[in-house]
Amino acid sequence: MALILRSSVLRRFLSTTCRSSTGARMDLVYEDRTDYPAPHVRFTKDAELAEDLKALRKKEAGDWKNLTADEKRALYRLAFHKSYADMKAPTGEWKVILGGVCFALAVSAGIYMFQKDYILPEPPHTLNEDWQAQLRDYMIRMHNNPIEGIASKWDYEKNDWKK
Amino acid sequence: MFRLAFRRFSTAVRPIVTQRLNKQSLAIASVRNFSENPDETDEQFDARWEAYFNKPDIDDWELRRGLNELHGHDCVPEPKIIIAALKACRRLNDSAMAIRLLEAVKFKGGVSASVIYPYVIQEIKPALEELGISTPEELGLDKPAY
Repeated sequence: MALILRSSVLRRFLSTTCRSSTGARMDLVYEDRTDYPAPHVRFTKDAELAEDLKALRKKEAGDWKNLTADEKRALYRLAFHKSYADMKAPTGEWKVILGGVCFALAVSAGIYMFQKDYILPEPPHTLNEDWQAQLRDYMIRMHNNPIEGIASKWDYEKNDWKK
Repeated sequence: MFRLAFRRFSTAVRPIVTQRLNKQSLAIASVRNFSENPDETDEQFDARWEAYFNKPDIDDWELRRGLNELHGHDCVPEPKIIIAALKACRRLNDSAMAIRLLEAVKFKGGVSASVIYPYVIQEIKPALEELGISTPEELGLDKPAY
């Protein structure tokens, strides 16, 4: 019973939101927020309810002791979309976010690898290890930086690095 | 070259900037940041809100506005305020708002809700029974439905 009531409420709501959002004042929009317990308007409009729900609203004007728990729940869902428990319930959205972040990382890694293989020029010859070894030998022969630099660490008598 | 450009720019902009500054200082001088409300004791606060919700011809907008504003204060409302608000819901035939109000009180309890909320329910029990209002727990609304 409650399920049928709620789905009919939702269907009714979905069928009317588009119409009311065009002409209505934009500040009178229904919104569920924990810091504002009472939204500007009810979730559903009384005039647009199905007949059985209209009858339920009439019954609400009478003594509330005559309402069953199901009816109270249905009346609550007419006035509010989500209860506080619904609002605070975990949405599982973190999975979407984590998946999205990993997807973006994978895409950017793919772009990087594609660029490295097909777009970027060869690295400069100065990054070549042979070149760097030749340059080091050349600097030692030149007695380059004899106080604190490379030549100060080279033992020219033994022709080896200083121990 | 940059110095020249900057000098030109600053001479062009100066009238605008100074004008704006003058306007701002005028505006600041004419608005005093004093609170209009004198300090209010807790008892006066409670009495004010109780009287607000006890207004016999309170309308739907006033009820919603009152609940929202009361929810914004750094306190959990006293049971007598809650009873007044529940009766206002009854006058407006809004049983959903009565339940929502109890949920909001529980939410306001924060980390101490397990202590505060049962106390509030215990205090307002007679009113709940008199009006025929079920607590969110009795209706199963304390569990997420989705």
